[in-house]
Amino acid sequence: MNCQRVQDNFIDYQDGSLPPAESAALRTHLASCPTCQREWSALQEITRKLDAMPAEETPSPRLREQFYAMLETHQRDADSVSPFALARSRIDRFFAALLPSTPALQFAGALTALAVGVFAGARYFQPPAPAPTVVVDNSAKHEKEIAELKSQMNDMGKLVSASLLLQKSTSDRMQTVLATMDLKSPDRKVLSDLVGTLALDPSVNVRLSAVEALAQHADDRLVRAGLLSALPRETAPLVQVAMIELLTSVRETDAVPIFDRISRDETADKDVRESARRALAVLRAPSPTDPLKNNQPSNPLVS
Amino acid sequence: MLLAETQFRVHTESSPVSLPATVDADKDHELMIAVRAGEIRRLGDLFERYHKPLYGFFVRLTNQPAASEDLVQIVFYRILKYRHTYRDEGKFSAWIYHLARKVAADHFRKSASTPTPADPVNFDDHPDQGPAPDAQAATTDDVALMRRALARVTHEHREVLVLSRLQHLNHQEIAKLLDCSVGAVKVRAHRALKELREVYFKIRKEQAA
Repeated sequence: MNCQRVQDNFIDYQDGSLPPAESAALRTHLASCPTCQREWSALQEITRKLDAMPAEETPSPRLREQFYAMLETHQRDADSVSPFALARSRIDRFFAALLPSTPALQFAGALTALAVGVFAGARYFQPPAPAPTVVVDNSAKHEKEIAELKSQMNDMGKLVSASLLLQKSTSDRMQTVLATMDLKSPDRKVLSDLVGTLALDPSVNVRLSAVEALAQHADDRLVRAGLLSALPRETAPLVQVAMIELLTSVRETDAVPIFDRISRDETADKDVRESARRALAVLRAPSPTDPLKNNQPSNPLVS
Repeated sequence: MLLAETQFRVHTESSPVSLPATVDADKDHELMIAVRAGEIRRLGDLFERYHKPLYGFFVRLTNQPAASEDLVQIVFYRILKYRHTYRDEGKFSAWIYHLARKVAADHFRKSASTPTPADPVNFDDHPDQGPAPDAQAATTDDVALMRRALARVTHEHREVLVLSRLQHLNHQEIAKLLDCSVGAVKVRAHRALKELREVYFKIRKEQAA
């Protein structure tokens, strides 16, 4: 054992914490080494002097007084703590006791939670079926479908506007119909609304106004078709007569079969049948103002 | 002769400046847990058990008895302030010395920037006072010399000397406190004793001259 090793062990030896074997080796060395002996006795001397230092003068009473004053202040603060804060500290302590306190365990806990989550996700939640892919094998077919959808949308729009018209009060609907009469060139939508009104509106007055409004646009094919389809279903004599007169004034020859049926209908109103008969007479007579219609097949019957 | 000297161990466990014996560690812990739970007045018991060793620690470390009283007060203030951080598995003596070291470090940082007035207790160290009367016991002379020597060693060495020789903390406790290995504490303790001895004999030589 060299001197450095021996002197490094002095502290442990002094402490009594050096293992017996090393203590024995140290004693052997000390007995033969004057340098280490000097070092050791010097260390012992200074330690003895240090340890012999008397107890410090006791602190003044001021320290105790100040301490207990501070203690009282803190005790009062602690006593006046709100029940809410007390409950919170209890909850905090509960969770502190529940959860791991060392960072390593916290990290392990987080990893475990993640692993469980991933496992459960993979095990219990099937991935959604792949979205159905639209196979467009025929662009023409595709376009046709779109066109159909569009027309369906339009029909839907018409129905909605018609029903909106129906939902209003009678006077409101009348206002709407009369407002269309001021339009010089109403668009298709307005005309189809009017035709719808004529066919569906429950009020005789509104239907009559619709006929009046349509009279300005009776040249339109849509208007005529609407009149022709609405007439057989019409039950109000007043409206029936107005429609018959309108169709007659525009010389709608397609109305002849309908007029014929009405004129023979025993249940129909007398005035309506009369009106239909007159209309038939007018339509079957050749019109001097409309030479084109002379060649129509319905006309030779009279000529 | 030499063997007899090796048995020499100064353990002044009955001394009022030493730490309470370890058998009381559990009681300290219980008291501190009660304080943490809101029974603030129980800290009084801990004050009675610790304020003297703590005061001794600060006096040895700073050599300023008046300032040391304030430092003890600061330590107990911090115990109250940070009582919620006291851990269930903690050891009270380790905790209080941990706080005391920080308080001392704060004190040294502050006094480094602002010069502190001389402590009247140190006046007897003044050379003008002249040699002690012959009537004075040699031991008293030794104690005064040792006090001055201790004040002159570096802060690091003084700390380890105070903790190990005067506060009677074992090397494991000091290692935990200083956040280093037990081996490092032993090395530091050995070097500290060596430095203390050098300073001690140097002062004695100066006085003799």
